[in-house]
Amino acid sequence: MSSKTRLVFSVLLLCAVGLGIASYKHFELGVPLKAGRKSPTWLVEAKVTFFAQPDVPTIVKLSLPAAAADEAMSQDAGSSEFEYFSDSGFNTLKAVWSARKPKEGSQSLYYRVRFPDRIKTGGGNEEVKGTSPIAESPGLSGPVEKAAQKLIDRSFAVSADPDTFFTHLFLQIAKESSAQEVLILKRHYEMVEKVSDENLLYVMGIDLLRMAGIPARLAHGVRLDPNLGPQKAFPLIEYCDGSNWKVKNPSQPNVSLRGDNIFVWNRGGTPLLEVFGGGENSKVTFTVIRDMIPLENLNRLRDSSFLLSTILALPASERAVFRYVVLIPLGAFVVVILRNIVGIPTLGTFMPVLLALAFLEMELGLGIVMFAVIVAAGLYFRFLLSSMNLLVVPRVAACVVIVTLLMVLMSLISWKLGLRGVLQITLFPMIIIAWTIERMSLIWEEEGKRNAIMQVAGSVAVAVVAFLFMNVPQIQYWAQYFPELLLVLLAAILLIGRYTGYRLSELHRFRNFSES
Amino acid sequence: MKRWWHRWFRTPKELREMGVVGINMRNARFLLPNNPRRLYQRVDNKLMTKALAEERGLEVPKTYLVVKSPHDVAVMEKQLGEFEAFVMKPARGSGGKGVLVIDHRDGDAYVKPSGSRLSGAELCHHAENILAGLYSLGGNRDHALIEYRVTPAKVLTDISFQGAPDIRIVMLHGYPVMAMLRAATKESDGRANLHQGAIGIGIDLATGLTVRAVHHGNPITRHPDLKSPLIGVQIPFWDKILEIAVTCHEMTELGYLGVDLMVDEAKGPLMIEVNARPGLAIQMANGVGLMKRLMPVVERHRQHPDESSVEKIQFSQTHLKAIGQSAE
Repeated sequence: MSSKTRLVFSVLLLCAVGLGIASYKHFELGVPLKAGRKSPTWLVEAKVTFFAQPDVPTIVKLSLPAAAADEAMSQDAGSSEFEYFSDSGFNTLKAVWSARKPKEGSQSLYYRVRFPDRIKTGGGNEEVKGTSPIAESPGLSGPVEKAAQKLIDRSFAVSADPDTFFTHLFLQIAKESSAQEVLILKRHYEMVEKVSDENLLYVMGIDLLRMAGIPARLAHGVRLDPNLGPQKAFPLIEYCDGSNWKVKNPSQPNVSLRGDNIFVWNRGGTPLLEVFGGGENSKVTFTVIRDMIPLENLNRLRDSSFLLSTILALPASERAVFRYVVLIPLGAFVVVILRNIVGIPTLGTFMPVLLALAFLEMELGLGIVMFAVIVAAGLYFRFLLSSMNLLVVPRVAACVVIVTLLMVLMSLISWKLGLRGVLQITLFPMIIIAWTIERMSLIWEEEGKRNAIMQVAGSVAVAVVAFLFMNVPQIQYWAQYFPELLLVLLAAILLIGRYTGYRLSELHRFRNFSES
Repeated sequence: MKRWWHRWFRTPKELREMGVVGINMRNARFLLPNNPRRLYQRVDNKLMTKALAEERGLEVPKTYLVVKSPHDVAVMEKQLGEFEAFVMKPARGSGGKGVLVIDHRDGDAYVKPSGSRLSGAELCHHAENILAGLYSLGGNRDHALIEYRVTPAKVLTDISFQGAPDIRIVMLHGYPVMAMLRAATKESDGRANLHQGAIGIGIDLATGLTVRAVHHGNPITRHPDLKSPLIGVQIPFWDKILEIAVTCHEMTELGYLGVDLMVDEAKGPLMIEVNARPGLAIQMANGVGLMKRLMPVVERHRQHPDESSVEKIQFSQTHLKAIGQSAE
């Protein structure tokens, strides 16, 4: 009896704490309970990391989005040791961190910008103020200059204004990548100017634009894709058509930038990151997160101590990881229900959760097909191996190697066929799959193929249900913004742990039961 | 009363009225409270179970050889030279996994009861698999046990196709609550697992007479392959079998357990293994919900916690006998 009261007490306590925090956040802080479909917000975080030398005065300057000044954005900067202020100069905005005696070691500084979903990229037309800019000649000479001039002439002939010239110039570079002129130019920038491969197009492009009399400079953008994880800023080109500055992506010259997938971080030709004094190995990475709650509520939550109860308190780069971590308990919950209340047999208790996590990252149908192909092929090779009478651990290890090779092979074939989705095959937990194959082959031999297939199918079915559950936007929203509700989930799991009723499968199993 | 839905399922209410115990109920109400974790090793390791049984003077199949290392495997065949028939099994196996029965030899080959032949190398590979933990709980390294092959009593071979039938007795607090005989069929390929098509035959605790038989959950009266009658067969040495079962409870101290025995033509009843997580199919074989047998025992144990083994057997035989029998 006492164990029962203890259980009831724990369940009530967990529910009270979980629901209490959640309702406080909802009613007092105004965090909506439903996933907002209307006004999601973007969070873009720039993380500057560098290695500080001891006691050397250090200044870090990071160019900020010019759009930050004119739109309903909220921004903040984080650092433990460095003093921060924002410096707005003529047409530019910079975050400046400084410290007189920084501690030795790696330092990270954060700058976060939040803004509502919108059409603008921050890279739209910007009117030229004051005198119009003049294109400085890049000062090329000899055959390089001649090659450049040829390229420019050709693009000039088919274009009507700076916009169409830009498009034709970069289309030409992309299309005629093996033409003599392009090769000469590329070699020049590689060998003489020592420009790295990834920046080549931008540096060369800016020079060509300037040579054609179009003022141009470098800009940086961030891709608004939460699935990318930490990303580097990618270079864009800003050019002036006489009255306006415009930002375009030279890799896709005929596509204009779209506000739903690109955010222009800095423009105006200033360097993205400058470190003065004792900083070495400095770099800036960006993390993008899509928040499902409106900006004003988010700010209120940030100001309260209950921030701690959400993963919002973490830096964006860590938050991206937690997006999936908070879903794992949900998968475990589904497994508990399907095993103890429904009674579906699975291979390995929590293998379906790992499978479901992999499905979350890819398309479900494709995921199931790939899983089936790998397991079937793996099983075939496993039976070939079994005739060699190998010891168990080497055999499973061999299975891991075969599964890996199969993955590589499938990726290559699908790449050739143009099926990009299959590349995500690497997300499958390989070791788990190898063990699944091993155990399946044993059941196959011991209890027949029917049982083996039933158990694998059961595992996949459980994984699919777990996936469908974890994939509900509302569920994901609660897991992210109300993680205290996991306490309620825990209470539910405890209750199921004491469930002594029949499993659904047993109602079927005992259908013939008759008293003699 | 037969209802239309009985073709597909039974309602929880119907099952509850018949006293059927489900897995969750078995675990939460009988296994977890009565079987402390530390006692599991006594039954999960067959070597230890056999040692305990021999201490108590119980008859068990004689151990010929324990294979513990690759070196043992290398010399195994030589040491097995004198034995015509034997059984190889993992010390920590469960559910009959990895059990290999050798019926006799033919030259260099080992012949299974089904007639299929094994070379010496294949036999060694099987032992290596056992050592590597292929069949053991949790996949840990294991030992292979080679022991006497039981020659079942004639009465029992008459109702089993090839494989040796074994007797399972489920006990609570040392009171036998239910018993069944598992007989192999052609379909089950000499194995005694009910879900693989073996026959479950309910045994009356009071008399040792078989009372009911089910195949795939359906009641039958004759063996599907041998056509021999399955009901009213007298299990030999029944009182001795119940004594062995109660002794197994005393030596393992497990509150809820299943004891597996075989009846040898020459040596009589032999204890094969003890199971700390006995399955639920025994209810189907007897046509009685376990709850109807377990509740009286729970009550009895509460009122008389210190009964002797003789008293326990007496209680089971008078109060837990088959319904049809008690009507007589």
